[in-house]
Amino acid sequence: MGLVTRPARSTEDGEADLELLRRVAAGDRGAVDDLYERFRRPALALARRVLADDVLAEDVLQDVFLGIWRDPGAFDGARGSVASWLLTMVHHKAVDAVRREESHRRRTARAEDDLALSAPVQTSDVEDDAWERMEAGRVRSALQALPDPQREALTLAYYGGYTQREVAALTGTPLGTVKTRMLAGMRRLKDTLGTGVPGIAGVTPADGTTR
Amino acid sequence: MSAAVPQPGRDDEHAGWDELAVGWALHALEPEDESLFLAHLRSCDLCAQTVADTAEVMAALAGDLPQTEPSDGLRDRLRSAVAETEQVRPAERADPPAVRPPVERPPLTPVAPLGGASVYGNLRAPLPHRRIDARPSWRRVLPTALVAAAVAAVLALGAWNVVVAGDRDAARATAAEQSRVIESLLQPGRATIAPLAEDDGREVATVVARDGQVQVLAQGLSVNDATNRTYVVWGMRDGSPVAIGTFDVVTPQMDLRTVGSQATGLDDYSAYGISIEPGRQAPTAPSEIVATGQVTS
Repeated sequence: MGLVTRPARSTEDGEADLELLRRVAAGDRGAVDDLYERFRRPALALARRVLADDVLAEDVLQDVFLGIWRDPGAFDGARGSVASWLLTMVHHKAVDAVRREESHRRRTARAEDDLALSAPVQTSDVEDDAWERMEAGRVRSALQALPDPQREALTLAYYGGYTQREVAALTGTPLGTVKTRMLAGMRRLKDTLGTGVPGIAGVTPADGTTR
Repeated sequence: MSAAVPQPGRDDEHAGWDELAVGWALHALEPEDESLFLAHLRSCDLCAQTVADTAEVMAALAGDLPQTEPSDGLRDRLRSAVAETEQVRPAERADPPAVRPPVERPPLTPVAPLGGASVYGNLRAPLPHRRIDARPSWRRVLPTALVAAAVAAVLALGAWNVVVAGDRDAARATAAEQSRVIESLLQPGRATIAPLAEDDGREVATVVARDGQVQVLAQGLSVNDATNRTYVVWGMRDGSPVAIGTFDVVTPQMDLRTVGSQATGLDDYSAYGISIEPGRQAPTAPSEIVATGQVTS
């Protein structure tokens, strides 16, 4: 699979990202600009996917990049890449926002949509729909290779912002099973995506950022 | 809270921590699991690594989403915000030690030539900053078990209906009804929950009691003849039943009924029961108990 052939870029980019962060830490405001240049597209893509709202998604981005400017020292150089750190913050803030902003009614309705869409008889429709929104790519094939229940659990949590217990309720599955599925799915994705060296950016956001 | 709360120190149980680590990275843990895991994470390298690995996979997932440009205004807004914001100096960093592992951990691998790591100040785990619960108040106040139980019960039924009916209008009507039920169940405030089962253990109703109101989520009680029969909800105190109020079941489908009652302190019983009675009034003692159950939350 193509994804295993990408590590060269990752290491290189990981170092470039670290250099940018180092500049931010040194008080270089322009480095925030560069960091923004580099990550704006995957960051926005993620925030929009979770929030389904462009305005809220951009608010999340501003929040994240401003937060990095304020406190670049929050990054742990010992574990993980700058890319994953940044995108994790985007994800968590987007999820917080979706939980805050979505009214109870809307969230209920959306949960029902998700549920109806994931009902067995309609599975193929849903997935077609979801895949349409996702570029054909290495991650797509990795996700596709997952057993359905694992993919369902992970996508509801990651893209939908649902908690494990909510995923359990939505899928009519015991909580313990949901937890197990998420772990098994993540392990499988990690193996497929092959990050290799722990702590190093084996996986970075796809192109579309600066090169 | 969690049925599978992992116990530290038991070899076969680290899988439970692994599961929580993935949930943590996904920002998908319930508050109680979150505090449990946070306490563990401080001293577990294995879990810190699992969190980091999961974050890498998540980043890859984000990278493959369809990408578009942010508006031009965002870059400008960010620039001006950065221009007028001072950086946090290491000395004044407000981060509570709670989110920082107490032990200095050397990098497991000679990661990128960071060289001046100290430039960053105290480089620590990319732990999610979520000390403030930003959830809407109903999510905080209600016991998560109630939310989960209600949503699970209602939505599980919905899924079944959708699959069987395969009819969009029917599904929509069901969804609207479910919204009403969930909405009503999830109104803010403290609630006492008691699932009630028949003798054979089949759950047929859930009592949701608040101080001045009792609701019954009927999910399989027979429809009563509202002209000469009534259901009665009983609260059990010191072994003797107290009639709380009456309600009718009008559909064999899941339905939420509000129990007519003037009393207060309705949530103050250790167990609840439902009986079917002749006439339209609650007798002094139940004649035919249909279902009983202990309070679970």
